[in-house]
This record gives sequence, C-alpha cells and structure tokens, in this order.
Amino acid sequence: MTQTIDISRYSALTEAIRTEARRILSDGTVSAVIGYTSGRRTGAVQPIVITAADDADKLLFTAACVNNLAVYLTKAKKDVPKRGRIAVVLKGCDLKALVGLIGESQLKREDLYLIGIPCSGVLGSVLKPDQELTTATIASKCCECTDRLPQGCDFVPAVDLPSPVPLEQRYAAEIARLEAMTPSERWEYWKEQFSKCIKCYACRQVCPFCFCEQCLCDRNRPQMVEQSPRPSGNTAWHIMRAMHLAGRCAGCGECERACPMDIPLNLLNRKMAKELKELFGTEAGFEVQDKGPLTSFKEDDDQSFIR
Amino acid sequence: MQKQITEANFRLLLDSLLLKGQRVVGPRRTAGTVLYEPLSSASDLVMDELPRRSAKEAFFPVCEDLLEYRKEGQQVQVTDITPDRFPETVLIGIRPCDAAAVPVLDAVFSWDYNDQFFLERRKKTTIIGLACTQANDACFCTAVGLSPSDPKGTDLMFTPLEGGGFLATPHSDKGEAFLATWQDRFSEPDGSTPLPSAQPAATPFDLKKIKAWLDEHFEDAAWDSIAVRCVGCGACAFVCPACHCFDIVDEGTEKTGKRRKFWDACGFWKFTHHASGHNPRDLQPKRYRNRIMHKFKYYDDKFGQTLCTGCGRCIRICPVGIDIFDILQDTENKG
Repeated sequence: MTQTIDISRYSALTEAIRTEARRILSDGTVSAVIGYTSGRRTGAVQPIVITAADDADKLLFTAACVNNLAVYLTKAKKDVPKRGRIAVVLKGCDLKALVGLIGESQLKREDLYLIGIPCSGVLGSVLKPDQELTTATIASKCCECTDRLPQGCDFVPAVDLPSPVPLEQRYAAEIARLEAMTPSERWEYWKEQFSKCIKCYACRQVCPFCFCEQCLCDRNRPQMVEQSPRPSGNTAWHIMRAMHLAGRCAGCGECERACPMDIPLNLLNRKMAKELKELFGTEAGFEVQDKGPLTSFKEDDDQSFIR
Repeated sequence: MQKQITEANFRLLLDSLLLKGQRVVGPRRTAGTVLYEPLSSASDLVMDELPRRSAKEAFFPVCEDLLEYRKEGQQVQVTDITPDRFPETVLIGIRPCDAAAVPVLDAVFSWDYNDQFFLERRKKTTIIGLACTQANDACFCTAVGLSPSDPKGTDLMFTPLEGGGFLATPHSDKGEAFLATWQDRFSEPDGSTPLPSAQPAATPFDLKKIKAWLDEHFEDAAWDSIAVRCVGCGACAFVCPACHCFDIVDEGTEKTGKRRKFWDACGFWKFTHHASGHNPRDLQPKRYRNRIMHKFKYYDDKFGQTLCTGCGRCIRICPVGIDIFDILQDTENKG
C-alpha cells in the first residue's frame, strides 16, 4: 500500500542551507555555492550557482532535489567558474560520488566546502515535479539507501530524520529477476531497452564519473564505437558505460533519472556494485580510497575467472 | 466534409487498415515508454499520453542509411537508396503540437536542397491528428500561436466527443480521400458536442518582441545565467518535434559499410568543433544560446516561422530543469 513519506524536516533543511550559505559567502569562506533553487512550474527544482550572499534565500531543499551537483565540480564542466573554495549541497549518494572523485584525484577536499543533507529521499522522476513523496514515487536508489546522514562534511544541518518507512528493495528484486533469466532472455530484455536509446548522452552528461574530456564514443579519428543510434552502437555504449563505472559508481542514479527514454541504467550499475562487493568486499562510501577495487591488486583477490 | 466515428468503429478501422497491410504508426508503449511506433493491432494505440519523442521521426528517423559501399580491389560499388523503402503510412493519434511541426520542417527540408528522405515520406504519409482534451503544466502551444485543437499539419483531425467517439474534419485532399475510402466506418455528424479542449496555462507570447531582443543580444550576460547549469546532453533537441539537425557518418570497415544519417544536437560540444580543434561555441551557454536563437530568430529570419510548437517535452525531460517557457517569458519582459 502506498504510504506518504515524512519530509516535514525539509523546510528546516532549507532554512539551515540558506543561513549557512549566507554566512560562508559573506565572510569569504567560499566564492560560490552550488545548490538547488525552485523552477517556474509548481514543485520544479533546478541547480543554481550563487556567488552573492543576498541570493542565499534562493536556495532550498525539497523532494524534487534530484540532481547530483557534484557533476558541476568536474573538469568536464568548464562552464562553472572554479575560483577559490566552492560550496556544494550534497545528499549522501551525491557525497559518495564526490568522495570517489577525490579518490581519483579529480577534486581536492580543501577546495570544497561540503554542505551535507540528512535525507529522507527524493522523487524517482521529476517529469511531474509536484508529486508527493510516497513509497511509490520515491527514487529506487532511496529504497536501498543506507547513507541518509552524510559524513565528513563541513556543515550538516542538525535535523533529526524520522525513522525510515520500510521500502521495497526494487533494484535487488529486479536484479534477482534478471539473474534468474537465461542469458538469451536477459539479452532480449536489454536489447529492447537499448533499442529505445537515442544517444542523447544525458546519462553521460549528468554522471560525475563521466569526466573524460573526450569520451570514447565521441572519437571519430578513428571511430572507436559506432556513433549512430542503432542496436550495435547503443549496446556498445551502454556496456562500455557500465564497465567504465564498475568499482566507481556511487549509486546516485542520475543516469537512470535523466534518461528521457526510461532505460533502467542504474540496474547495470547496481549489478556491477553487487559483483564488486561479492568479489572484493568493496562499495562506495564516505571514506576516500586511494585506489578502487579495479585499479589495485591484492594477492588474495578472487582469481577464479582465470581458467 | 465532417464525419463522425464511434470509438469501436475507430478501432475496427485501424484493424482493417492493418489487415490490408497498411503501415500504421501511432503512440504505442514500448518497453514501458510511449513512442510513435508502427502498430500491430488497434489495441496497441495509446490515446491518453503524449509520446516521449515527437512524431518527427516518422519523416526524419533517429537513424537511417543513406547508401551502402563495397570495395573490391580498386572498384568501389555504391548502392543508392530505393524508393520502396518509403512505404505508404497512416500516422494516427498525432497531437497538434507534433503535427504543427511537420509543415515547419518542410521549409528547411525543401529549401536549398530537396531532402528526398524527408519529402518522400511526407508524400506517402497521411497525418491523422487528435485534439488534446488535457494539458499539463509544461504545455504551452497556446503561447506560440497554436492550440490544443489546431489542425495545422494534419490531413484529418479527430476531435473527441462527449459520450465517446470522434468528429473527423478533413484539412487536405489526403484527408478527404481517407474519409472517402473508409466511408463505411464513418457516419454523418449527429451534433454531439466536442469534449472541451485542453487549456494550457500559457497566454500568447509576443514572438516579434522576443525576436527583437534576440536580434540585439547575441552577446548578453543572460545566456550565462540561463545555461551555466546546462550539462550538454542532446535530450531537449531529440525529444523536440522541430529540432532537425543531423550528422552523417560512414560506419563499417574499409571493405564495406554504410553511410548513415542520425540526429545531432547543438548542445553537444562536438557540434561545432572544427577539424582545426577550434570551437566557436566553446562553452555551454553559447550552445544553449544557439538553441534559442535558432528557434526564435534564425528560423524566423530565413523561413518566417517559429521552430517551436510548445509541446513542453524539453521542459519535462531536461535533466537540470531548464525551462524554455521561463526563458521566453523573461526575454519577452526584457524586450
């Protein structure tokens, strides 16, 4: 049965974010704050970069704050000015991605001022942004979230989250369903999903880990992956994306949320994360790791795949 | 001459078309997402949801082959396209915002070069529109000179009636011919009232005023504030009924392969990347500026038309919430 999720604390979070942003912009701690602001449509939210303390009241936090703002800090997003220390508003899942970027030497902790959000969950889709947050509309990633309270931030509003309502573990269930299929059934499933892909690359562009200055898919001298949105090139892209994110993806689920064709992309990432956990006992977290599971070698690593 | 058709007869009509081997394309759910796709039975048709992608792909597919090449020794054999690849098609359940974009696209596809791929499909397709009775908060056809019952671009327009069924109004010879061919399924209008048209909460823009501002503000700080958050994907262009940029790439091996044409988007960094390495649109705000300029200035300069039908798809799907209606409203206020 669908149940409403208590997000009454989000207005207190909004107040706390505004107060903190005003303070750190006024006293010069940071040069800019990357956060969320409201859009024109009821409930709509969009990312914003503010540089003046007077704009702090534009910031907010609601169930429609779906974006992972860490993406704006990467070298792939040259448009966001990166002078001085920058503050960024992060949910737990977003923070794990940012921690991964620090581990990959893409960001320096001292250049950042992290505003962590104690989070009760966000919407799975903002096609209709004014929806109420319920056990049905909540993002699948939130159903399996174990990191509602970010760690290691410069500021986390002191807000007590209500205890989470039990949620159906959608990814786990879907992965189990796909694992139970025969390889040809599974292939049919993904073939149909990938057939919808139009190569808009929204999944790539919103991903904090897709910071390559030139994606292999954009190379044409020589061409590495078929560029045309056809079955072969689509499949190549999605397999490449999943493999390239294995051991790195923090599970923010932005790829899946941004996909205009509703391809369940995070399912591939979750499956990879599951394998990595089983094989190497690693998963994305709040602690910076110098080396990821696929960029390091340990003598006791599982080698059963070598036959 | 207006005719009327019951819901049941409409479904029977669809099945008769399909039985006859007619290709029928309409809104259909594919792997969970509603798209304009070939139907295999009348029950496939989804009438209560705007497809995620527009109907432009019926004329300008996501991807198509232009030619095939084969090299043997020093001989290169090039196989051209054949006209039989453009089957007669009935496009059904097309929303006014999608249908209206088709004549707008005619201008660019038959301008300095007649694009036979687009024009052949155009010739062989009958467009049957479906008036909207529901709008959502992203719809703004009424702001760009259209309406939820505008027949622009349709050959035949279906308007839902109180108590079920549709009123069918022809708007071209093709529409008349369709009604004549399938007259048995239709009846004379019995005076039933059409369902109230949808009412998007969008009052008409002064497009001249918007264009006047764009004419003078190629360089403006507004572009930064609008698009600094743009992540540079092609989602807005790809779901748009009017965006029509494409790329052409040869794919295959040295011996054999195909030349393919597929959708491109001005949001991509690669879009204006020169072979020299220089990119005149080096930052995202410059790319987003092109999106607005092309729709509301360049296309007007060249063809006297607006390259936007207010479907609202880009507003709904933009991963970072860029809202073209909001931008136009601000621009109008500045103008």
